[in-house]
Amino acid sequence: MAREIYAYRCRLCDTMHYPFRMVCKNCKQNDFFEFDAVPLPKSGNLLTFTRVYNLPAQYEVATLGLGIVELDNGMRMLGQLDIEDPKAGMAVKGSVEVVRKETYDEFYGMVFKEA
Amino acid sequence: MRDVYVAGIGITTFTRLEFALSEIASYASMMALKDAGITEVDQVYVANMGAPRVNHQTALASAVVDSLSLTPAGAAAIENGPASGGSAIKAGFQAVASGMDDVVLVAGVERMREVNGLEATDFIATLTHPIAEYIYGVTLPAHAAMFTRLYMDKYGVTERHLAMVGVKNQNAALKNEWAHLQQGISLEGILDSPEAMTNNPYVAEPLRFFDACPVSDGGAAIILVSEEKAKEFGRPLIKLSGVGQATDTHSVHEREEPTDLLAVRKAAGDAFAMAGLTPQDVDVAELHDAFTILEIAESEEVGFFPKGEGHIALEKGETALGGKIPINVGGGLKGRGHPVGATGVAQAWEIVTQLRGDGGERQVEGASVGFTCNFGGFGNNVVCLTFEKEA
Repeated sequence: MAREIYAYRCRLCDTMHYPFRMVCKNCKQNDFFEFDAVPLPKSGNLLTFTRVYNLPAQYEVATLGLGIVELDNGMRMLGQLDIEDPKAGMAVKGSVEVVRKETYDEFYGMVFKEA
Repeated sequence: MRDVYVAGIGITTFTRLEFALSEIASYASMMALKDAGITEVDQVYVANMGAPRVNHQTALASAVVDSLSLTPAGAAAIENGPASGGSAIKAGFQAVASGMDDVVLVAGVERMREVNGLEATDFIATLTHPIAEYIYGVTLPAHAAMFTRLYMDKYGVTERHLAMVGVKNQNAALKNEWAHLQQGISLEGILDSPEAMTNNPYVAEPLRFFDACPVSDGGAAIILVSEEKAKEFGRPLIKLSGVGQATDTHSVHEREEPTDLLAVRKAAGDAFAMAGLTPQDVDVAELHDAFTILEIAESEEVGFFPKGEGHIALEKGETALGGKIPINVGGGLKGRGHPVGATGVAQAWEIVTQLRGDGGERQVEGASVGFTCNFGGFGNNVVCLTFEKEA
């Protein structure tokens, strides 16, 4: 089964949140975990991007592409880019892959490629 | 609420410092205590971001208060990311304004060159959203770079404008003996010459090496007192007249208009409202130029220039010493350095120096109203302050 990144929909007012927050930013009325997890769409358009040359400790690559993507449902998310020559507005498609490795842990996140 | 005044200021050189973290904080504090001519305070606040992680030290305020022989005064450390300094000054303001304390020492300190650059970058990146940002390898330069690209597309800011901020602030630091960078730079060397790409490589496209502040160690301190005490000390009367703090979404992508810095807008607006001032009253300002784009964006959000026109004011020289609203005449974070916990206090130090007329070569003539903007996270926690000289 394909891995997913989830957005959280308030059960009271349907407002979507990514990332998760404890209290709905719209109605502020929900009870503990009163959200439904909804998979984020994986396609969208690149809003802005960068290539980073001085990475934090633990990254064993020379440079890293990062970008903010406007997803098809209108929400935005930050992800890694596996794109040679990114352009603002270009269509991208994401998949959930390992984005950070630590000594005993792996972290999964969205990696976008050109659609 | 009681009025709050500044009775003393102190600072260390910003550079790589081979002293213990608490000694750096204590040195700046000692200078401030001597400046005020006092040996006792009611309360100490120490602003710091990285002591537990970078320096393997917790409860820093207890170490500082004892090192200064100020016990049994109350003491607490304040960690609020890069806005720790401004937040600690706000806490000091509240303590004096409420009438609870008469004399409060606020120190800011960071010793982040104890670790290598990769670890320092990672340490700062821990302020980003743990799940939606940090795990992707996002750094603060990366956030600033993505913000810059949007700003370039929307408002016509170019790499030349960014370089102009860098040149202005790094060269301003040459007139500040406490500043970290003591090397002049030119547009020729960092942008126009064939060697520019070597001298000034990309850190996070489109931001280059000279668009970012250096990694510095350093401390700064300020003593806040009630009006009654201020008159006893006989120092120039500098009033901390406005304090504003505001927050924004933790993850940057959630902001409706990603080129807005709403927390800066609100914090500045609140500070001006408390002081009964407008942005046009300001004679000298310290903005949080951790990256060159931030000086341009903040100069708009705090109200000095209309949104999207900060780079035009920069081109006209309005933000340089001698211009309409001189910004970062002591070098800013770019030239003075950015020991994260110390920065908010160092900004106040520069403004008080200016309002006292002690700025030397970098003095803004006749400055009587000063402003600081201490920008935490990537704009998710901001403290703005106004200072006024009283005749």
